[in-house]
Amino acid sequence: MSEPKRLHPIAMLLNVIKAIKDMLVPIIVVVVFGGDKDGLAGTIQLVILGSICLFVIVTAVIEWFRFTYRIEEGELRIESGVFVRKKRYIRFERIHSIDVSEGIIQRLCGLVKISIETAGGAQAEAVLSAICKEEAERLNERLAEAKRNKMLGEQPEIDLIAEPVIKQESVMTFRLQFPELFLMAATSGAVGVVLSGVAAFVSQFDEIIPFERFFGEYEDVLKLGTFLLAVFAFVAALIVYMLATIGMMLKYAQFTVEKKEDELIISRGLLEKRQLTIPLKKVQGIRIIENVVRQPLGYATVYLEYAGGSEADKDSLKVMLFPLVKKKHLQKYLEQCLSDYVADVEVEPLPARALPRYMFRRAIFFIPVIIVFIYFFRPWGYVSLVLLPISISWAFLQYKAAGWNITNHQLLMRSRGLSKQTILFHKSKIQSIESKTSWAQQRKQLSSISALIKSGIAFREGKVRDVEAKDFDAVQTWFLKNSRTK
Amino acid sequence: MELQNQISARTLKVWRIIGFLECLITWIITIAVLVLTIIFDWTPWIIGGMIVLSVIQPYLGIYLLPLIKWRRFRYEVRETEIEIQRGIFVIKRTLIPMIRVQHVETNQGPFLRKYDLASVEVSTAATVHTIPALDLQEADELRQYISKMASVEEEDV
Repeated sequence: MSEPKRLHPIAMLLNVIKAIKDMLVPIIVVVVFGGDKDGLAGTIQLVILGSICLFVIVTAVIEWFRFTYRIEEGELRIESGVFVRKKRYIRFERIHSIDVSEGIIQRLCGLVKISIETAGGAQAEAVLSAICKEEAERLNERLAEAKRNKMLGEQPEIDLIAEPVIKQESVMTFRLQFPELFLMAATSGAVGVVLSGVAAFVSQFDEIIPFERFFGEYEDVLKLGTFLLAVFAFVAALIVYMLATIGMMLKYAQFTVEKKEDELIISRGLLEKRQLTIPLKKVQGIRIIENVVRQPLGYATVYLEYAGGSEADKDSLKVMLFPLVKKKHLQKYLEQCLSDYVADVEVEPLPARALPRYMFRRAIFFIPVIIVFIYFFRPWGYVSLVLLPISISWAFLQYKAAGWNITNHQLLMRSRGLSKQTILFHKSKIQSIESKTSWAQQRKQLSSISALIKSGIAFREGKVRDVEAKDFDAVQTWFLKNSRTK
Repeated sequence: MELQNQISARTLKVWRIIGFLECLITWIITIAVLVLTIIFDWTPWIIGGMIVLSVIQPYLGIYLLPLIKWRRFRYEVRETEIEIQRGIFVIKRTLIPMIRVQHVETNQGPFLRKYDLASVEVSTAATVHTIPALDLQEADELRQYISKMASVEEEDV
């Protein structure tokens, strides 16, 4: 398939949608501030709007026409550009994964979008926004073939005839069941994101949309009482919550993790499908989060820390391995897909003399708040005293949760902010370790230890505060022992 | 066990110059606030605080903190790892295995150049670790040494 190919024509529509999305703010401004729709001004406005639309559509068509891809000499060659012609040649060996996703438009037409990622790129190297499934399959085949050839080329001693390359079947290692999906969506806190989004949106348009006038007319209604208002607010919050839950469910429906040779394939989504392929050697660590709602129910969320993903695509930076999993089953699933990591180990508890420091850290945060409340809002300010037992028990929970463990080549660090966080590091992936000791810690012979791994385009830090000072020596010895040799 | 190497004693001078420049900024702001306070009859609290700050800052920023920082900073570059200790109130000790070093570079700002110093910056896949100031020649040698010892496997990260 060396002749240049174009994307499916539906890509034109996708181009238009993307252009409109990019220009959303100016369009809204024009529509809102447009003001006078009559007379000459109105006509000029219409003409401008019309020509913008025309421009967008024409550009989209040319963009589609100019965009060609072909496979030649072990390279994927893409040529594109309307005003600036771009030629992008990507060698197969450099490609480390192909992500397949399907947006709503692609699904309706039976197409897929593929993003091609190369090592170290901050963004996807190339995106083919709409090609048919067979074509994507073929591309994948060619890529796998090229990779195999490369591997064989490096190890010429392998007898090609005696050992034909067997294409391994993928093994399903995890599937998110419906009850879990529902529970995960309902406890995800996505509602917070939606609410803050709405709040930000409303505050943005506060000055543009005349709320004053709008509500002014309904003032009489509002006078009916705060009760009605409260009911209204409650119902609104409930609706937003339900929408957020449904949104999360659609996003994470049909969540599966498959293992195929040395890759993990994570697929999810009902309306919009996404498939992420992560080579096992790119996996840097595992992060287990138990939030306050899920922990009592015995559930945890597991994230995959990996070196890759692109800044432009936030979803690719925070990858869930298991969106929601019973903690007691976690080990079983983990063994199936990442057998290097062990989750069910006992952590080294902190020494008792660390507890006052945990208490102090909470107190320094809460006590000023309590004082301010009592000082300014007497007598009701005394209610804030309930924060005292809350902060004490919070500190105690943080103290109980914290700890570390070393098992073979794995370092585990556990701590609690609000949620309990456990990070599993493999020795060969740790970039650096660090201890921090303040003078107060030094007096008590305590110190805080942390370890860094690469994650996405930045890094992830695991940290345990106030461990025995000599613990760092133990971690250090362990860390240096085998990392001396490759 | 204390680490062996210290950074150049001339670093202290550089840090003190920088500390002095920072004080200069504070003093200018203080004078501006003083003028504004007189003109617009502001509350005396602000200017009071600013004056206290402009007295304390020289002591801390020019004398005390650079001294502690300089004394605390220690490093050792061994065959297989780099160890750095730094900090003023909190002592941080970092350990970087050689095989995690992706690249190493030396840098010279205008102040460092004046005193013939350079900083050495060691990058891993995750972060950058800095040795703030060494003799230029020493820094160059260290850079070459680290770069020779480091041989990271690109594929892993």
